[in-house]
Amino acid sequence: MQSRRYISWFFGVAGGIVALAIAFNVIADSYILHHRAGASVQLVSGFERVLKPAWLVSIKPSLVFVGSSRARIAFDPTLVDPALHLKSFNYGVSSESAYEARRYIQDAAAQPNVKTIVVALDAFVSGSSAQPFGGGFDETRLAVTPAGEPTPRRDLWLFTSRYLSGGALGMHALGVWLLAQLGPGQLAEDRPDVFSEYGHMTPAKFRHELTRRAERSMHLTKWQHEQLLDALAAICHSNASVYFYFPPDNMAIIEHYLANDAKGYADFKRTVADDVIRHNAGCPNKARLFDFMNRNRITEDDAAAHGRLSTYYLDPIHVRPPTGLLLLRRMLLGEEKTLGVEVVP
Amino acid sequence: MIFSSYPYLVFLAIAVLAFCFLENRLPGLRRTFLVLVSLIFYAWWRVDFLALLIGSTVVNFAIGTAITARHADGKTTRPLLIVGLIFNLSLIAWFKYAGLLASSANDLLALGIPIPHLFLPLAISFFTFEQISYLVDAAGGRAQRYSFLDYALFVSFFPHLIAGPIIRHNDLIPQFSQSRNREKRQDDIAVGMTLFTIGLAKKTLIADNLAPFSDAVFSAAHHGASIGFADAWMGTLFFAFQIYFDFSGYSDMALGSACLFGIRLPMNFNSPYKAASIIEFWRLWHISLSTFLRDYLYIPLGGNRHGRFRRYANLFITMLLGGLWHGANWTFVIWGGLHGIYLILNHAWRSICRTFNFAAPEALQPFARAVSVFVTFVSVVFAWTVFRSESFAGAARMIAGLVGAGGHSHLLTFGPLAGGALVTLFALVWFAPNSMEITWRLKPALETRYRDAGLRRTRWQWRPSTATAIVFGLLFVVSVMALSNLSPFIYFQF
Repeated sequence: MQSRRYISWFFGVAGGIVALAIAFNVIADSYILHHRAGASVQLVSGFERVLKPAWLVSIKPSLVFVGSSRARIAFDPTLVDPALHLKSFNYGVSSESAYEARRYIQDAAAQPNVKTIVVALDAFVSGSSAQPFGGGFDETRLAVTPAGEPTPRRDLWLFTSRYLSGGALGMHALGVWLLAQLGPGQLAEDRPDVFSEYGHMTPAKFRHELTRRAERSMHLTKWQHEQLLDALAAICHSNASVYFYFPPDNMAIIEHYLANDAKGYADFKRTVADDVIRHNAGCPNKARLFDFMNRNRITEDDAAAHGRLSTYYLDPIHVRPPTGLLLLRRMLLGEEKTLGVEVVP
Repeated sequence: MIFSSYPYLVFLAIAVLAFCFLENRLPGLRRTFLVLVSLIFYAWWRVDFLALLIGSTVVNFAIGTAITARHADGKTTRPLLIVGLIFNLSLIAWFKYAGLLASSANDLLALGIPIPHLFLPLAISFFTFEQISYLVDAAGGRAQRYSFLDYALFVSFFPHLIAGPIIRHNDLIPQFSQSRNREKRQDDIAVGMTLFTIGLAKKTLIADNLAPFSDAVFSAAHHGASIGFADAWMGTLFFAFQIYFDFSGYSDMALGSACLFGIRLPMNFNSPYKAASIIEFWRLWHISLSTFLRDYLYIPLGGNRHGRFRRYANLFITMLLGGLWHGANWTFVIWGGLHGIYLILNHAWRSICRTFNFAAPEALQPFARAVSVFVTFVSVVFAWTVFRSESFAGAARMIAGLVGAGGHSHLLTFGPLAGGALVTLFALVWFAPNSMEITWRLKPALETRYRDAGLRRTRWQWRPSTATAIVFGLLFVVSVMALSNLSPFIYFQF
């Protein structure tokens, strides 16, 4: 009799909590996806690796951004979509590794509705083969396996990730809380106190980040290069146009890269350019390569160095969403010609 | 199907419900049902290897039945046993070790043998060993004539199929015909759910969260990075705890799953890091493998019956082969050899202590035991570096890091979080009661075959009550919610 009561209580408690969690996740997910500013939650760091693959399927975008936090913070669909008259999705994740970048490119390219993929290349020089992906990454959620085959039982993994995982619970709670802070008619850009991605780089932040990132360099390892080549191979026969770009890190940081490993920095850029040229020579689906990691009006923004708020930056390596829109105008619409260089047309 | 996955939870729930229904209405179909669900469980991974499992079962059953019949007639069974052993060892050698042998021959003799890249069939090490034990027992007159259904269920019963415990036919098959009343069934389900929950929590809340840290260090060492002292120790300790919670978690889930069907599997894990010697460690760690190696390798080799030197040689050979059983990599052999040396030293030390009547004074016994536990733990942890490393070079870099002769890597940060995690983990493995001790009231496992390695008494005994149901129900939900990454169990690869 004791055991019978135990079984009843065990399943009652477990079932009740699971049902509550699923109900919350279903409602929160729907709330975020249907909220006017809901797409801005894609800028936020949390458990984005858990939910973004599922959101990609639900949102059915035609434009997808892939990359590390540089991409995650730079592109807000609520800003991009009305400006470019399309539906976009920010697939950026914090500290994205080269392997993840390759896999997310594969995933985006495998979506039938995706027509354009924009990739921030810094992801290919971050992380290492020792840590091939970040916490929460699970490739069973992606449309294809590393070999390009359809992922077995993907719908099941997407369902459980979205409605039954602790990561989803956390990300949904965070998203709902952020959106609930917005007043009537407000968007994320109106509340940089809530959506900090819209904040401006302050002199203090500039100095702090410059010190923190003093030893940073840009160096493409053999393993990272392999991931890049695999990513290019994955889009060879894709229907989506692919735009690679070197992100516009502030010149103060670029000078660190040059001081710490000038050769690695130059090799990285040259290798990527060579690879894209080789890819275009052999593949029906061409890729384009832009370089914003050079002297231009964004990277030369020295407002914070002179005691003012930066127009373009959140911090020395992350540009604000309005700056991201400028990059897209340059790459996708051919506007802002003075901004960056088209390395491989 | 991985135990710590949603499909398994659904599969298990459906299987238990259907089994309970059959128990009430059609008890004669219970074994057939269990064979069918076990085959589905295996096929979920790769349906084509189902033929291998079924083929291996049929051939071994045929040979075993013939051996039993010949033994009953007083005829020699040796030729058939040899045929059976060759069949099983060839199967495992081909699928598991062909690549290693070919690449090693190429490396040593530059033979240029093409290296077969075979997909290792899941559970082959386990079901092959179990069937070898059956054939050996049949030849020794220690096996009955079983029906094919019983035998097939013995091999394929899904809770133990893919990563053990390695079970003996005479421990499992007699349980298939036992019936249980409603009260017993409710007790089985209650204790099974509890044990399964403890295992799931160990896996998803502890082991899976340690994996990225140990992986980062060992992978860096494998890829040529020089490992610093702090990284080497943190990486190795995190791996030592990862494999502990991964494997003991798996064992708990296997035993818990079996309990739901009224079946008891052998206890496989009994707080091995509390061991005060390597001899004791092997009586507490992967108990079903160590008893298998003892009964079917060490003792047939001569055991301790032919003098000290032969005993040590037999121990060393047994551990070398035990290491090789874990995988087709020489690092596993070295790991086994290292444990072989540990065991020899341990036996030699005991012999010296006996000869010179050397023992710590009564008052210092607790201190001496604590020191012994610590020394044993450090020895085991040191051996884990070789076990976990993907190459000798990687292992050498890790060992250099452990002794302070490595580089100055900064892969992990030893901060309050890492320190707190390590203290908690040490407290759990050294001072907390284990899952067997907690749930032993309802005897969820077969007792260990080592008479002197029984369970310790604990005040933390689980009993079915409303309060414990709420606690374990919550733990279950939290563990399920943590199923974000589908990391396979470490022992699945063996």
